[in-house]
Amino acid sequence: MIRVKELNKQFGDNHVLKNINLDFANGHVYGIVGENGAGKTTLFRCIAGLEDYQGTVSAECSPLKNHLGLLLPEPFFFARITGKEYIRLLCHGRGINVRDVERRNIFDLPLDQYASTYSTGMKKKLALTAILLQENKYYILDEPFNGVDIQSNIILTEIINKLRALNKIVIVSSHIFSTLSDTCDEIHLLRKGEQIKTVQQQDFKSLEAEMKANTIGNKIEQLDLK
Amino acid sequence: MAARRLDELGIPPVVGYVLGAGSFILVSEYLFYRTEFAKYVVILAALSLLAKTSETNRTEFLKTVFDRNKFRNIRIAENGLICLPFCVLLLYHRALPEAILLLTGGVFLSGFTLKSNRSHALPTPFYHRPFEFPVGFRNTVYLLPLPYVLTAIGLSVDNLNLGMFAMLLVFLIALTYYAKPENQYFVWTYSTTPAGFIFEKLKTATLYAALLAAPIVVSLILFYPQQTGIILLLGLAGLAFLWTMVLAKYAAYPNELNLPEGILMAFCIYFPPFLLVLIPFFYSKSIKKLHAFLK
Repeated sequence: MIRVKELNKQFGDNHVLKNINLDFANGHVYGIVGENGAGKTTLFRCIAGLEDYQGTVSAECSPLKNHLGLLLPEPFFFARITGKEYIRLLCHGRGINVRDVERRNIFDLPLDQYASTYSTGMKKKLALTAILLQENKYYILDEPFNGVDIQSNIILTEIINKLRALNKIVIVSSHIFSTLSDTCDEIHLLRKGEQIKTVQQQDFKSLEAEMKANTIGNKIEQLDLK
Repeated sequence: MAARRLDELGIPPVVGYVLGAGSFILVSEYLFYRTEFAKYVVILAALSLLAKTSETNRTEFLKTVFDRNKFRNIRIAENGLICLPFCVLLLYHRALPEAILLLTGGVFLSGFTLKSNRSHALPTPFYHRPFEFPVGFRNTVYLLPLPYVLTAIGLSVDNLNLGMFAMLLVFLIALTYYAKPENQYFVWTYSTTPAGFIFEKLKTATLYAALLAAPIVVSLILFYPQQTGIILLLGLAGLAFLWTMVLAKYAAYPNELNLPEGILMAFCIYFPPFLLVLIPFFYSKSIKKLHAFLK
């Protein structure tokens, strides 16, 4: 269980998260959706403890950060570190002596090459592999599907389902609604730092339709396409 | 670029340039005072800087912006400017052939691009504990043979001081591995306390720096067994400087090492006992800084 209570975050005068209250239960997958700048990444960074905030974030396993696998939208890599060393570094940080890296390299990454030479999608797959091998209880995957090929997206969806079956908590954000509707049990909608609504699986279609209507409006007509 | 970088560090560019020039003169004078092989160290230092300007990404960018002739002129001017202070230094120390060799070598190298083999990573003996040493080793691979060559020369001409200088050079190179702060994610990911994190970093630094220095230390002790005490003491001093660097890095974290840390460390070179004060000071400061990431 992770409980976020009355979480507020300000950058100077900019109130980016306003009174967020969320409960995440074990064995469930949660989606966080919202436009760019809605506060999704800031929310994730607050939960992870990478940002200071007002309010509380609590979890069964404490401190939460020591049991959290965090996939950032643009993972950072050192200039001359190989894929295998990156995995080893992240696992070492959690006190795990990782074994069988080659066998567990399900995305077929060239682990003996420098990670900085990987493509965007490969970097994301490497970062994901590393946090999975950390054997975390909780996962925050910020835009995991972005830049990743279709085959890997299929694998990623199955990984998320497997994590659910293993009673883990997975929180995912994505700009591709179908990836969330395929994996999530519940979706939270954020808008300008506010928690607008929470939608259960049976209502995902209506949420998508509502988001489409709100987002598109008559903007396409404004283009005067000819 | 240099002015902006100095500005970011909170140093007025003019002061930075003066300090840089002053440090260059002081270090080189010390080098020439300590060893007769200083001119070769100077040439190698210049070559390592020249190698940086020949990196593929950099030269490819210049090629896309400038036409063939301008590109060639810019590269010659760059390498010539880099060689200039080193040539002046060599001329001042009456090493005319070496100065001419360096200048012609610099101009010659301006026509080449250093292509790194992107598909194969350079193997290192530091596989088990990424990241500072594997990354640092690869960044300084052109420089690393120097201390071992100097040791061999020192032993062949029966010059213990040169061997001890070479040993300190290993620690000096290892210091550079801790010069830049890593992305916060790589601190945050550790499931340990700040004290545990620092202990882990110091353990890795000690283990791997000792591994790099071991061939020099062992050969010096074998050739000068009566000087074992002073050799080991100097090795310990090298390690103490390395620990100070690790602690200074996290005392400034997540910012880069700044002028105050630099001044304090520079003072230790002239008065090493100050390390006994500086190490605990940087330790307590780094514990405070790391609390923000390792709750």
